[in-house]
Amino acid sequence: MRIEIKALQQELPALLGQSTTALCELLAGLGFPVDAVEDGAGSPVLEVDVTANRGDVMSHRGLARDVAARLDASLTPLDAPALSEGAALLPVRLEDPACWLYATALLELGSSQATPAAAQTFLNAMGSTAKNLAPVDASNELLHRNGHPTHAFDADTLKGAIIVRRAKAGEKLVTLDGVERALTADDLIIADESGPIALAGVMGGDPTKVTPDTTRVLLESAYFDPRTVRAMARRHNLHTDASHRFGRGANPAFARIGRDLLAKRLQDWAGARLVGAWTAGDAPPAAKPIACTQTLLEAVAGEALPLAEAADFLRRLGCLVTADSGKLTVIPPSWRHDLSIPEDLAEEVLRLRGYDRIPSALPPLEGHPDPLAQVYLQPRNLSRRLANLGFHQTVTLGFISPELDAQFATHDNPAVGRTLTNPLGMEYSVMRASLLASLRAAAELNLRQGAKEVRLFEIAPVFFSGHQGPKETMTLGLIWGGTLGGEDPLTKARPVQPADLLGIARDLGCRDRVQVRELSPGLFALEISLDDLELPKDRVIPAFSPFSRFPALERDLSLLVDLDKPYRGLAEAMSMAVLMAAGEAFRDLHCVDIFRHKSLPEGRQAMLIRLRFQAHDRTLTSEEVDAWVAAALTAAKALGAELR
Amino acid sequence: MRPFFVYGDPMEPNLLPIESLEAQQNFPASLAACGDMDALLRLKGAYIGREGSHAARLMDLLKTAPKEQKRELGAVINTLKNQWEEALKARQTELEEAKKRRGALASSWDPDLPPPIPARGALHPLTRLVDRLVDVFRPLGYHVEEGPEVETEAHNFDGLNIPQDHPARSSADTFYFAEHPELLLRTHTSPVQVRVLKRLAPRILAKGGIRFLAPGRVYRKDEIDPTHSPMFHQVEGLLVGRNIGMHHLKGTLEYAMKALFGEDADVRFRPSYFPFVEPGCEVDVRCPLCHGKGCRVCKGSGWVELLGAGLVHPNVLAYAGIDPQVWSGFAFGMGVERIAMMVSQTPDLRLFFENDQRFLKVMGGLD
Repeated sequence: MRIEIKALQQELPALLGQSTTALCELLAGLGFPVDAVEDGAGSPVLEVDVTANRGDVMSHRGLARDVAARLDASLTPLDAPALSEGAALLPVRLEDPACWLYATALLELGSSQATPAAAQTFLNAMGSTAKNLAPVDASNELLHRNGHPTHAFDADTLKGAIIVRRAKAGEKLVTLDGVERALTADDLIIADESGPIALAGVMGGDPTKVTPDTTRVLLESAYFDPRTVRAMARRHNLHTDASHRFGRGANPAFARIGRDLLAKRLQDWAGARLVGAWTAGDAPPAAKPIACTQTLLEAVAGEALPLAEAADFLRRLGCLVTADSGKLTVIPPSWRHDLSIPEDLAEEVLRLRGYDRIPSALPPLEGHPDPLAQVYLQPRNLSRRLANLGFHQTVTLGFISPELDAQFATHDNPAVGRTLTNPLGMEYSVMRASLLASLRAAAELNLRQGAKEVRLFEIAPVFFSGHQGPKETMTLGLIWGGTLGGEDPLTKARPVQPADLLGIARDLGCRDRVQVRELSPGLFALEISLDDLELPKDRVIPAFSPFSRFPALERDLSLLVDLDKPYRGLAEAMSMAVLMAAGEAFRDLHCVDIFRHKSLPEGRQAMLIRLRFQAHDRTLTSEEVDAWVAAALTAAKALGAELR
Repeated sequence: MRPFFVYGDPMEPNLLPIESLEAQQNFPASLAACGDMDALLRLKGAYIGREGSHAARLMDLLKTAPKEQKRELGAVINTLKNQWEEALKARQTELEEAKKRRGALASSWDPDLPPPIPARGALHPLTRLVDRLVDVFRPLGYHVEEGPEVETEAHNFDGLNIPQDHPARSSADTFYFAEHPELLLRTHTSPVQVRVLKRLAPRILAKGGIRFLAPGRVYRKDEIDPTHSPMFHQVEGLLVGRNIGMHHLKGTLEYAMKALFGEDADVRFRPSYFPFVEPGCEVDVRCPLCHGKGCRVCKGSGWVELLGAGLVHPNVLAYAGIDPQVWSGFAFGMGVERIAMMVSQTPDLRLFFENDQRFLKVMGGLD
């Protein structure tokens, strides 16, 4: 909201002489931070941030009123004698409860229509342009000064009575912006006997607007239900100065005053002559009294707070306050639609006292603290571990394009159950079933940027289409590619292999076999649900398990094996045979080297298998180990392997 | 080397043959010329070898020498032979040591050569900041609660006292699911409050309260630009107990900001409005970059907005089944990216989602 400092000072003379910086601090302290200060013509203009609950401060006078309460100062009295009302010159029928009150007046304009220069400057400062039509400019100027929206119709375009009612299906209205709007039965409209002439509280109609040829105007200063106006503004995507103010709640008690001020402007600027003024309907009843106990006030404030002090602050805000036996009974003023519970009042008291006066204390513990749960600790520890293994943690968006999603989603996880109604675009329309597409994009970006090696991970949920909606599974994705080593005399350069990732998976305690995928040449990735990773046991440290203090014996077998024979089968067969022979003394067996060369028989490779034995209770003898190794060899030979 | 010396006059013609005298004269130079073991062994063979050496020839001469000369000649030959042997031995030691030195050098490592460096990855700066916040609040007894990213309207809005016609509910601000119109992507971490309070209400009442942090990813329908992203991170904090007031919120956040930014961090509370708190406030911290003098980051004001907070609205407690007449609490929520950008002066939010390893190494690093 734009606020001209000069205009603010006119409303609240106590601000005269206040520096801009001090004013900004003052406003921020009241909950209205200043986002920017601009040099206006003759006076700085502030861009003031107003929260959605405070429609009442959306004007110079409204803001001044709040500051005045803080400073305990007085506003400049309004310069408009109340018009004496008479009989309705034109019937006004309020047919819908969403319009409480409709104050109007009929005026004949004089010869001059010019808007005074000062008003034009002010409108410019408000980011508006003077139309040089007195009724339009005056209405606009008063909206920014006082916050109450008003409207002027060309009275000679109106046909019969003014009716405030809901629109009928099929009715249309061309609004002031020249757009023809199809109305719905939810729209509150101002109509005459020929049909709609304005969207109530939002925008006037084009056919009845004031033009340079207008000679008689009918003024409108009403009070509309905020919810109804908000819904209309949203429905027609028509957010106007008027709809912002009616939508947040205008001041019903100001409706007549707003009309009187507008009439006075027209008399002053355009030599207008009042023909008559009248009002239909009544202001809504005052808000229900709110009871606010001293106990609550002090609990919120965190210190002793005399009721009299609180009552004084609330009265300054315009509340009707009665104090008795430890509690206040408060009726908020007609412009404060945001005050309805005692906590609201407590906030007002603290706000006017200044939040800086709130004391500072740590709350006592309400019981023993809860431990950090694994659902938080597991990803945290995993991230640290992976970072120490050379992986870089990424954060990527949760939604991707249907095409990318389809590359990685399983068949039982249709995208339709994970698709957004209103995505930012197709490329962000599906909650991803896999992290791999995003990781691949990040990895390729790094390689394009010249990285020799890329090693990334992400821990984030992936989504599964279920009957109840998308289900989330916290998942780890890893991607690794490029060249390893080659940067020092001891480490040979070599391309990243899928086995590198398998080693990581095993190191992380992955319980099942994982599938390493080559996402693009030389770029390997895998994805593991965090549920499939081992969690640390609940105990502080694990139970002791005895280990052998007798020496282990190792034997290597160099075998010639067919190239197409999988290692897994060979290793399992050999392990089984050794286990049968050696029992507990067999520790493990694994391939420690592979040799492929043209000197070997075609179609075969040499595999160096290392077997390890260790007994719990004695030192093993060469003879018994030899027998076990022979058993392993026999098993290997049964699979077509031979000793090299 | 010791001067070569022979008893008697070595040039006595009738005592030693001329070849032996010449050999004796050449010996020091030949010895010095031996650069390796092979050459030394050859020289050794030539001078004191069993057969054909100078020493062997002198021994032959001794055998045939006249009886009266034998004693004198024997002494001379013996001296000569001993001298050769000793000198050869000394030279051998010398050569062996030189070889050992060379060997040691060959297997030595110049410590200034680049050693193999273990691979070094990085945490993401946003994760690191979230974890830092958890660490800051942990000593106050806060634990961590999490909730799903796919939420119901009830948890995301209704339970937080957000009116039915609030603009945040519109499809212009919030992402909804096509097949499940009641489901949305949470727009803040506050629904975790609702979930935890509902789930733990009986326990909270028995225990006397609860306090926790809820970090997580949230979604809003903002186009991607240098200061906006449709997905970002928040950390929510909630405390429910008895007689909780604004002073408790202030004490807690002052502690936290000092823990985060240093003991001299200055905190400012300003009134503000969020539907799920009352009273509400925004919390500024004295600009950690210019310390209040005014700079680009704080736009000259000396303060930067850090988070929104307030006392939990009675409707929020009541929705979760907790009597607001008896219980009260405070809540606060902060944007992780906002703080990260402010603290690090990162110029563009998109850098956090681009995942360039160079950015991650510098900004995230390792703990």
